[in-house]
Amino acid sequence: MSEEQRRTQVADVDRSLYNFTKSEEGYERYADGLTPDIVRAISAKKDEPQWMLDLRLKALDEYHRRPMAANWGPSIAGLDLDHISTYVSPKTKQASSWDDVPADIKDTFERLGIPEAERESLAGVGAQYDSEIVYHNMREEVAKQGVVYTTIEDALHNPTWEPVVHEYFGTLIPMTDHKFAALHYAVWSGGSFVYVPAGVSLDYPLQSYFRLNAQGAGQFEHTLIIVEPGANLHFIEGCSAPKYYEANLHAGAVELFVKDGAHLRYSTIENWSKNMYNLNTKRATVDADAKMEWVSGSFGSHVSYLYPTTILAGDRSSCEFTGITFSGATQDLDTGCKVILNGRDTTASVSTKSISKDGGVNTFRSSVVVGRRADNARCTVSCQSLMLDNISRSDTIPAMDVRNPTASVGHEATIGRISDDTILYLMSRGCSEQEARTLVVNGFANPVSKELPMEYAVEMNNLIKLEMEGAIG
Amino acid sequence: MADENATAVLDRVNEPPAQTWNRLRANDITLTVPKISRKGDVYFALPRLFSRIECGMGEKVTSWVTSQAADARYVEVPAYTVREEPIVVAIDADKGEVADTGVMVRAGAAASIVVAAGGTDGAAGTSASLLRVVAEEGAHVTITEIVGVGPSQQHLESVGVSADDDARVEVRQYALGGGTVALGAAVSLSGDRAHANVSLRYFADGEDRLDVNHVVRQRGKGTIAHVRENGILDGAAEKALRATIDLVHGARGSKGDESESVLVFGDDVVNKTVPVILCDEDDVQGNHGATIGTVGPEQMDYLADRGLSRADAEALFVRALFEDAIINAPEAHSHDVAVRQAERVLGAEVAHDFDAGAQLAEDEEVQGCPC
Repeated sequence: MSEEQRRTQVADVDRSLYNFTKSEEGYERYADGLTPDIVRAISAKKDEPQWMLDLRLKALDEYHRRPMAANWGPSIAGLDLDHISTYVSPKTKQASSWDDVPADIKDTFERLGIPEAERESLAGVGAQYDSEIVYHNMREEVAKQGVVYTTIEDALHNPTWEPVVHEYFGTLIPMTDHKFAALHYAVWSGGSFVYVPAGVSLDYPLQSYFRLNAQGAGQFEHTLIIVEPGANLHFIEGCSAPKYYEANLHAGAVELFVKDGAHLRYSTIENWSKNMYNLNTKRATVDADAKMEWVSGSFGSHVSYLYPTTILAGDRSSCEFTGITFSGATQDLDTGCKVILNGRDTTASVSTKSISKDGGVNTFRSSVVVGRRADNARCTVSCQSLMLDNISRSDTIPAMDVRNPTASVGHEATIGRISDDTILYLMSRGCSEQEARTLVVNGFANPVSKELPMEYAVEMNNLIKLEMEGAIG
Repeated sequence: MADENATAVLDRVNEPPAQTWNRLRANDITLTVPKISRKGDVYFALPRLFSRIECGMGEKVTSWVTSQAADARYVEVPAYTVREEPIVVAIDADKGEVADTGVMVRAGAAASIVVAAGGTDGAAGTSASLLRVVAEEGAHVTITEIVGVGPSQQHLESVGVSADDDARVEVRQYALGGGTVALGAAVSLSGDRAHANVSLRYFADGEDRLDVNHVVRQRGKGTIAHVRENGILDGAAEKALRATIDLVHGARGSKGDESESVLVFGDDVVNKTVPVILCDEDDVQGNHGATIGTVGPEQMDYLADRGLSRADAEALFVRALFEDAIINAPEAHSHDVAVRQAERVLGAEVAHDFDAGAQLAEDEEVQGCPC
């Protein structure tokens, strides 16, 4: 293979990178199932204020009261909350130095490249292992700017930040939003609280990484980010878990408040194992002249329901959503996004890609809602789907609800496969069929990967390479 | 004896094969319809094979129409013949008429079917048409539906077509207004190389409610489907359109595309669109697109240069739509429905101009263009 050809190939991936487990011996693990006693125990362990316990118990009632929609997406019949532990915690305290993190957990995050990324290109890192944050740190110069990056639990114990958490927590994603939002609020644990003061711009991203190691467990982290007027933040979220042969559950929540003139980019690479039910909820509200950007890569999980929502509340606010979903064998991923344009002169742009192979099922869903006062709102949605074989499936289900005569909304979607001519052309230039397909898929995904920080773009390309292995024959 | 006062609620009407978020209230429509009991009467029923045809508005509407229609009408077009006269289903909405029609177009035959549903402003009530069509191998079927009922009336129109190898199906719908108009059309391209063109042009204003469900199932190899919808919404009209291209496993080499273009003129319009592609096969092409907006600034500049205000320009688009409906009405009933609705929306003078224009075009077609 020539040097030029080698440069177009993604380096081989060590499959053990994500798929390794650590012993749970000595861990604190609550009984499977969902009861008021478990909810009270989680709250007591965190020594929470009464309002939070009340909120949890109310959410538990809401969870039990609310039925699942009968006509919704992929089946989650294999998910039985009676066999899921909602709280598993390693016996360690949160550290601000990797040297203070227990060796097996530190080894986990080192294999995932988190400490190295922190040293090279991040302003701060939070690392969650099962239900608790085990490491949290932020560069001193960032802290001096007044930026707060901590856990929700720590913020609740800080007299300065507890009222702020109380004011914002659960307001953007109400517990009545859907059944798993209610579940989340009943048993949430871990996650991040980020506050960026007005006018502060972070040169480097903050990153939270969520690792679910425990078998038959759930992870319910809550991320609350407030970007004050004129501030600028790039936040990165990474997730992974080893593969087990019983269901795991991820039902996190992300609430993002982008104030006037602020800018927030939220990048995610989700690489859950293929026994994971990923029922995550993410929502941003964007004030006047502010901008929200989502970059989302969904690779793992057995079933996903994931539709980040942006509410363009302020005049001249805008959002961009760039996403890719790769669905392989045993995966049924129902992903997309929602945009609600309420302010005047708001703009939204959605561009998504999906790839299906080996019997994987992709469903792209979107909704664009233009409110009555959203004069001159503009929105475009583009969805492209690639089918790599005839045992896979790809559906697109967009919806538009427009209630303003001055708005302009456009949608386009295409579904198809890699043409034989393209493969033949690349093979005539020395690529094997698998190399040719990988090359085309990487090119297809390129508009997404170029939006990611370099190390995540490399990780995404590696994930595609990993998923493409054995795609032929 | 009929009990005219009894009603039935039909829920999940016009439900597409795949649904979106329930909170958007775009997945279906619920209709209240009269429930006429004709105890002891015996009516003609269509041959059993028609019951296997999927219809656009769903099973509940099919069951309701078959139970309410005074009779069922079966028409067969013999193989390798061309039926010159259209098969006409004329619905008088003022009388609350309900029709159940089955058409068998045998191999290689050609037929045109017209459904014309019209009503006046004064009367209230519900009318309906259920049309089921089998297009055998190589058959060519054109279905033209023109609907224009009064603001207090409700009309249901459900169509189901099954197309065998090399059959061609054209469905042209004109929804020209009415209190509640619900249209559903399902076309199953069961045979290889079957071809469907489905088009809808619509206008709704005032408090009109228009609800549409289009489903094209591409099952055969090398099938082609084009679905085009475009329309105008004014006043406080509410419209929901669901359009689904379903590329079924095994439909290798098939192509399906769907597009909608909506002009929104009224401040209180509610416009909902759910264009769906379902794809269970890799060797296919599926596309859809939608544009929703008002008359663009460039178009407005062009028209303003010629002395037209925004209101003039909007009226021009509405006139063009009604003119198209009148010109393409294939026979007297559908023509009358289109002219009557044009009169209601645009005034008698304009409607008469269209009528005269349409007649002129017809004469030219008969005599050959004089130029």
